[in-house]
Amino acid sequence: MSDVSLAPVGLIVLPLIAAAVALAAGVARERTGWAIAVATLLAEGGLAAWLANAVYRGRGEILHELGDYGRPEEFAVGIELVADELSAIVVLLIVVVSLGVLAVARSTGPRGNAFFGAFLLLNGGLMGVVLTGDVFNLFVFLEIVGLATYALVASDRRPDAAVAALKYLIVGTTGASLYLLGVGYLFMATGTLNMADLAAALAGNAAFVDGPLYTNTLVVAGFAFIAVGLFVKAAIYPLHAWQPDAYAEAPDAVTAYISALVSTAGAYAFARIAFDVFTPAFFEAVPAAAWAVVTLASVSVVAGSTLAVTQTRIKRVFAYSSVSQFGLVVAAVGIAVHPAASPDAARLAIVGAVVHLIGHGVIKGGLFVAAAGLARTAGARTLDELSGLGREAPFQSGAMAVLALSLVGVPPTVGFLGKFYIALGAVEAGIWPVAAVILLSTVLTLAYAARFLERLYFTPRSAAPSAGADAAAGVAADGGENTAADGGDAGVDAVEQDVADAPGASLGLKLALVGAALLAVVLGFAGVEFADALEPFVTEVVR
Amino acid sequence: MVEQSLRPLAAVLVSAVAIALIVASYRHPNVRDSWSVAAAVAKFGIVASMVPGVLGGESYRAPALAFAPIPGSDVTLTLALEADALGVLFALLASLLWIFTSFYAVGYMRGLDEHAQTRFFASFAASLSAAVGIAFAANLVTIFLFYELLSVATYPLVAHDEDGEARAAGRKYLTYTFFGGGVLVLAGTVLVFVLADTTTFGATAQALGNADPTLAKAAFALLAAGFGVKAGLMPLHSWLPDAMVAPTPVSGLLHAVAVVKSGVFGIARLVLEVYSPAVVADLGVGIYLAAVAAFTLLVSSLIALRQDHLKRRLAYSTVSQLSYIVLGLALLGPTAIKGGLLHIPAHAFMKLTLFFCAGFIHVETHTDYISEMDGIGKRMPLTMAAFAVAAAGMAGIPLVAGFVSKWFLLIGAVEVEQTIFALALLVSGVLNIAYFWPIVYGAFFESPGEADSKPLLEGPIGGRFGAAAAGTSGGPAVATDGVGNGADGSDESASTSDDSGSPSTGTYAVDRNPSDHLSPEEQERRRREAAEAAEAEATAEDESHDDTDHHDVVHDDHGHGGTTGDWEAIGWTGKEGSWLMLGPILAVAAGAVVLGVVPYQAVFLHLIEEIVAGVAF
Repeated sequence: MSDVSLAPVGLIVLPLIAAAVALAAGVARERTGWAIAVATLLAEGGLAAWLANAVYRGRGEILHELGDYGRPEEFAVGIELVADELSAIVVLLIVVVSLGVLAVARSTGPRGNAFFGAFLLLNGGLMGVVLTGDVFNLFVFLEIVGLATYALVASDRRPDAAVAALKYLIVGTTGASLYLLGVGYLFMATGTLNMADLAAALAGNAAFVDGPLYTNTLVVAGFAFIAVGLFVKAAIYPLHAWQPDAYAEAPDAVTAYISALVSTAGAYAFARIAFDVFTPAFFEAVPAAAWAVVTLASVSVVAGSTLAVTQTRIKRVFAYSSVSQFGLVVAAVGIAVHPAASPDAARLAIVGAVVHLIGHGVIKGGLFVAAAGLARTAGARTLDELSGLGREAPFQSGAMAVLALSLVGVPPTVGFLGKFYIALGAVEAGIWPVAAVILLSTVLTLAYAARFLERLYFTPRSAAPSAGADAAAGVAADGGENTAADGGDAGVDAVEQDVADAPGASLGLKLALVGAALLAVVLGFAGVEFADALEPFVTEVVR
Repeated sequence: MVEQSLRPLAAVLVSAVAIALIVASYRHPNVRDSWSVAAAVAKFGIVASMVPGVLGGESYRAPALAFAPIPGSDVTLTLALEADALGVLFALLASLLWIFTSFYAVGYMRGLDEHAQTRFFASFAASLSAAVGIAFAANLVTIFLFYELLSVATYPLVAHDEDGEARAAGRKYLTYTFFGGGVLVLAGTVLVFVLADTTTFGATAQALGNADPTLAKAAFALLAAGFGVKAGLMPLHSWLPDAMVAPTPVSGLLHAVAVVKSGVFGIARLVLEVYSPAVVADLGVGIYLAAVAAFTLLVSSLIALRQDHLKRRLAYSTVSQLSYIVLGLALLGPTAIKGGLLHIPAHAFMKLTLFFCAGFIHVETHTDYISEMDGIGKRMPLTMAAFAVAAAGMAGIPLVAGFVSKWFLLIGAVEVEQTIFALALLVSGVLNIAYFWPIVYGAFFESPGEADSKPLLEGPIGGRFGAAAAGTSGGPAVATDGVGNGADGSDESASTSDDSGSPSTGTYAVDRNPSDHLSPEEQERRRREAAEAAEAEATAEDESHDDTDHHDVVHDDHGHGGTTGDWEAIGWTGKEGSWLMLGPILAVAAGAVVLGVVPYQAVFLHLIEEIVAGVAF
């Protein structure tokens, strides 16, 4: 069992089995779900550390053939699991975020073994997306991720959540089906589903093809379908419509989890297929593909931020923010493969894409945890209700402020580091419109992020709208002392009553939140570590 | 000679450490405020210790932090601090003036019993940390980092009051500074790196000279505009007057010394070290920057003439004076650059004095508008004397700091054969007198009931013509100087003066029964005013007025902060208010005079000569 190539297997299989165990244990004894989930994730943490150590400090890419079918005639027949520098870092992100969310979910709920079963299923699916080396297997895991997410979104049984989950289900399944169609076309053109073999076949290096297949209609159509399908998963404008509702209506812990990881997995999948299956050579042969990707991504950046500014509910602001931020990641991927990009530019863009992918996962997960905490501390669900919480919940507000600034891209946080590399790549490549959009994204993000700072710290608590009937009843019961003219005081009283009634954020939530904020700053200084870790992968893609 | 030293890093971090100490001692105001002073003194000490070395041509480099390695090459973008002459100039100025501002701020905040003082002093310490970081930054990436952190650290100070106006000003401030910094400076930094493979100051000039001129010019424009936002270059200056809602120590130290000077400092680094004057001249972009600066310094002086709110007038004056520095730098000749750089400390001392005076007046008498400051020299003689000295310096009167820098600028403009800019500077000097002299004159030589009219403040833009000027008033706020005799003052001054004391025209029979030559509207207005004046006399009068910027010169419901009639006469013995504020005012004013009399011995000119000696022309 000391062969590290079993680590990817363990990482996928362990949570899937644990999900079943949680469901089974729930029959015997409810309330064991959390413990099972934590135990599983700690074991996964160990496996992930082992894997990362092997990938970054020694062997490079770790390969595992499931079922040992081997490679007759040099074609992979079975499914291969591949852990290279890109996968390993996303695996680490998944483990860290999962543990953080478990710390939050203990107090915020939902509870029940069914919830933790779905949670572990989602975890297993995410690991599968990240570690698989087969495009059809990727579809399977994307569907597992999707199904688990639909269940989790609706897990607190509210009607709005059910509608949001249904919307996500319909749109998500459509996206997955489009992806499957693309995979089908590729299979028809090349006869293989293994990523490495596909790359070889498309490049014209396989025995049975005459030359590069890049301009083959099936291949180009396949790319288009795959890209659109994965853009639905990553919520790129205009395929994002499922995301705001799903994020806003899901339970708080679920939103933190899916915002940090599910769209990340979609963006990861797109990056993996663009870099390793199609490779920059495809985009050189079909420049329109690269232009389409960067254009759509740039539009997403601008549209996401603009829509975020118009929102009043906190979770919806962050949801549209994700649309914008994933636009940045996809733009970086597009720049990296763009024919106009020199090798230097491509390398910078790849590092930027990965740094921003990881960084955004940490930041967005942290922001949703902060939203959860402030909702539990003061019942704040809209921006106006955040007024004055800087004084009442100093650590949570401080962490939210740091994370918001990181999202804007204030150095030296990780939000800045990713954006900086992407901007460097864009300018080095000479793709000026995209470079302008990336640079302007700072101000666009500021437009919605600064409102949080302003509300938390520079708006007095009395400006917060008071809660509904309970507060009014409380005021009236005062014997009419709080007259209409005294409305300001009554508002403050009612608002203070909200604070008194709210359950309060648990220690686990606060730890997770402060941890996310610290991580966002620490990772901002980790440019050297990121670049060194990704160097083998970068040199392999940019040949 | 580069010496490895931790002192640049220590200078930046000493006030960062102070942030934690200030926050920790929030329950003990005296301890908390002494941390500010201690940090300021420590910072000044560390920077001052580097001055002798720097004057000898050395620079102090702190260990660099690898920040962003460039994959596929062995270039790494680092965060690096190096204290050279230019950096020490700015850091010395900021840290020295912070010492005085700490005392002043304590007096100001306690005098007004302000809220959130811990947040205030902590943000102040953070801002100074970022400002010294900007001063000692050794490359564009580092200066960008601290530039952004400065914006973040100063935002709580701008929005301090937590009312709608402060929040709006804060939003505008963040938008402008993040657009300037986060977008433009970052774009310029990235472009410079792409063109030159490095962003270290002093190492990029040759590559930029050899690069594609369009891209090099674009990078220059981006960086100049980005730094120009904080430097108040028009049309990106608009955040500065609105930021005057902040407490006066903020307006003084940050928006006259640290934040805005970091903008001009960035432009100085840009012209002197990123591009070098030779490359700037080659690219031909200096003239555009000079033109923008000249435009700014004239137009903002004109706008300043019309401001009645003292701090807003000072803000526009700041915008104008900052462009002196930018103009000096953009002219590219050694004397002009010397003048521009010398104006950094000169203007800082003078403007800080002026802001301190404005804040002290606010605390002691709750007066913010120039039209209410007639005769205030009686109440606050030392303050207004300091104000007069600093104002003289702003206009370029010899013996005060502003004269020396202006002298160099004028000579410098002629030296590079662009005399038109010398003319612009001279016109600006006249305008400076035009908007500062009435304040000084009014303070010492007029009194509330008997002030002359102020047509620049009250008249409509474009003036009035013929019959309209003779007797009627054009709008609700206009003075007439034809009614009654001069000694009586005009309607305007009568209305602005305290109603219960001096004889107001409202009580004269001729106003209660206006004659036929006045138009019906004017008659009605006079009648109304007479009734209101009579009413106001009867009621007690101590209403504080709001400090909105939509201020009409005629306001019927204000008080002289509680005094009735003329100002109370305080002697020249310093009893006009707290010495926590008066002391710094006098000290900084004295500094402005010292800098005007012995600029070389006062270190700053010596530093500047050292800087200019090292520049490639």
